[in-house]
Amino acid sequence: RLSIKTALGENAYVWNDNEMFLFRATLAFAMTKQFDGQVSDIIVCNQTARVSFWFVVTYPHNKTLVDKQVVERAVRKSRNRINSAFLLSDTTLEFIGIPPTLATPVNPSTPTWLIVFGVVMGAVCAGIIVVLVVSLVQRKRKKNETNEDTQVKTVENGAARDGVYYMSFSEDESSVTQM
Amino acid sequence: MEKGARPNWDNPMQFLLACISYAVGLGNVWRFPYLCQMHGGGGFLIPYLLMLFLEGMPLFYLELAIGQRMRLGSIGAWTAISPYLGGVGLAGVVTSLYLCLYYNIINAWSFWYLFHSFQSALPWADCPINSNRTGPVEECEMATPTQYFFYRETLDISSSIEENGDIHTGQALCLLLAWVITYLFIIRGIKSTGKVVYFTATFPYVVLFIYLIRGITLHGAINGVKYMFTPKMEQLANPTTWINAATQIFFSLGLGFGSLIAFASYNQYNNNIEFQAIIVSLINSGTSIFASFVTFAIYGFKATINYENCLERTRLLLLNAFNLAEDSVTIDSVFEWIEKLNTTYPQQFDIIANKLENCDLESELNTAVEGTGLAFIVYSEAIKYMPLPQLWSVLYFIMLLLLGLGSMLGNITAIITPLQDFKVASRMSNELFSGLVCLFCLLLGLGFTTSSGNYWFTMFNDYGATLSLLVVVLIEVITVSYIYGIKRFEKDIEDMLGHRPNWYWKIMWAGTSPLLLIVLLISYIINYIQGGAPTYQAWNIELVSVGFISSPL
Repeated sequence: RLSIKTALGENAYVWNDNEMFLFRATLAFAMTKQFDGQVSDIIVCNQTARVSFWFVVTYPHNKTLVDKQVVERAVRKSRNRINSAFLLSDTTLEFIGIPPTLATPVNPSTPTWLIVFGVVMGAVCAGIIVVLVVSLVQRKRKKNETNEDTQVKTVENGAARDGVYYMSFSEDESSVTQM
Repeated sequence: MEKGARPNWDNPMQFLLACISYAVGLGNVWRFPYLCQMHGGGGFLIPYLLMLFLEGMPLFYLELAIGQRMRLGSIGAWTAISPYLGGVGLAGVVTSLYLCLYYNIINAWSFWYLFHSFQSALPWADCPINSNRTGPVEECEMATPTQYFFYRETLDISSSIEENGDIHTGQALCLLLAWVITYLFIIRGIKSTGKVVYFTATFPYVVLFIYLIRGITLHGAINGVKYMFTPKMEQLANPTTWINAATQIFFSLGLGFGSLIAFASYNQYNNNIEFQAIIVSLINSGTSIFASFVTFAIYGFKATINYENCLERTRLLLLNAFNLAEDSVTIDSVFEWIEKLNTTYPQQFDIIANKLENCDLESELNTAVEGTGLAFIVYSEAIKYMPLPQLWSVLYFIMLLLLGLGSMLGNITAIITPLQDFKVASRMSNELFSGLVCLFCLLLGLGFTTSSGNYWFTMFNDYGATLSLLVVVLIEVITVSYIYGIKRFEKDIEDMLGHRPNWYWKIMWAGTSPLLLIVLLISYIINYIQGGAPTYQAWNIELVSVGFISSPL
């Protein structure tokens, strides 16, 4: 079954006897590869406007029909060549009963997502380490400074840290004379 | 800087952006559009906006005022108001802890999808091929590739909550990354959070805007938008509509967790929270409406594509069965041809009659989804049909990440701030304490990366926080209005802002909001009792569909 318009759209060619001849020739080619150089006969019948038809293959010397399995194997082997002869693909040139062998999926050794994950994780960990180091350095510097200014610490600061700060009494500060 | 001094936001803008980043979360994107569709499209905006003014803004302002006034986290703040009420704050912290446990798993999924977007063919676009290389994997064939990718490859889901499988290592890694990033954002308390929210609050809007432009130019988007916004006013008579509007406003603003109290406690004393409360609530609701516009454009696109694919399949079926020439049946004439062929060749038609699908645009649009299904299945399905899907996928999942992480910031701060007010924790450095909290949540959160993890997640999401929050906020508002006293509260606000709150606020705090909350609480309890055992949707591996299972818990 051929779906020419679906495959080619504007560039679709018209299906006529010439094309049919090409089909028979291509199939004969596929069978020849099976039988080593002996050309068999391809008989076509029941053509429809859909562009679908039945075909049978006969042995080269006598008129007996070739087995379906043999034909299937031949078609499978040369599927690519048959498809490209008609500028079609596995889905637009269908052989009913012969499912296409699908291509093996590409499986890279490291899945891609793991790579991106590694990049992002590395960046974030680097960020954390940087921040931690910076704050450690800052803290050390401050400790060195405060060791020198311990005398400067006023009593007021100490009191504010030890007590609980009640908001409601904050207005009273204005009544205390400023030093 | 002495150790006792409380850190402050660098400027009020940081605080504003932090609130926006916290409130505007995943719920705006995946819950509101669903509600809008369920309750009559454009008509839903009426109860929604009404509830915003009746309970959203007043409660938001209330929490901010408490935080800024007491300058302590939720536990300390409530204890300062009355020593018996420390439990309110504690409840908030515990609820935030629950949320932190399970919320970051969503970010883990977003990371997973984000990292998988960097491929030439998106992995959820096609089914993977089975081992014989004869066709797609069976489970994937019966469902759709996007569903397969979510349930099988992302979650590796089991059939029920009892079957705990192994930990999915990819998920666990992504969860680890989510927690590491969260730790980086909060490592120095609000000094680091304040810088981060510039990005997490604003970039999602950039993406939403880009998606809006992309969305409305998509084929068929207008169907979705029309469908959503045609108001069905009769829904307003349904009390569930009003209850859902109130619930949505309540949860969308993130009240009751203590995050708002925590954020506001780092404010300058005179910060104008009244103005900020109004702005944030309006922005939150505005974002919901904006996001639902985008969502429905995407819906319309996806529904139209599915509809057209369905028509295409039917067309092929007709062509192949009746051996007609290829251009005799076009997509538009499929239905006429069905009629014609049914009458002229009835027997032949009967043969294919059971293979014939019912292609209906309305029913495609009717598949309203909410929650993780919307975000990870429906959206990714729509994205794979867009030109240059990798770009759109990356943008979308970065947006989801920022929304989720922004909300996480608020919730983690809600845990850390009150605990740091206690002397025990403040002896440790900020970094160490935050690190311990994150590590604790990470280890417990690994339970959600198992095969049954999604079911646990659903249980936590649906039942973990809702009741507690309603009770907490109800007690909060009654306390402030009646136990602390509206008069005293008024004076506090005057002290902070320089003017008293006007009558609108006072009526809301003392009357309307508590009443509304009581109504919500009652309706929740009624629903809970009537609903029987809690149920969750499970992925049935034989039927390859989602069905409801009653939970044994």
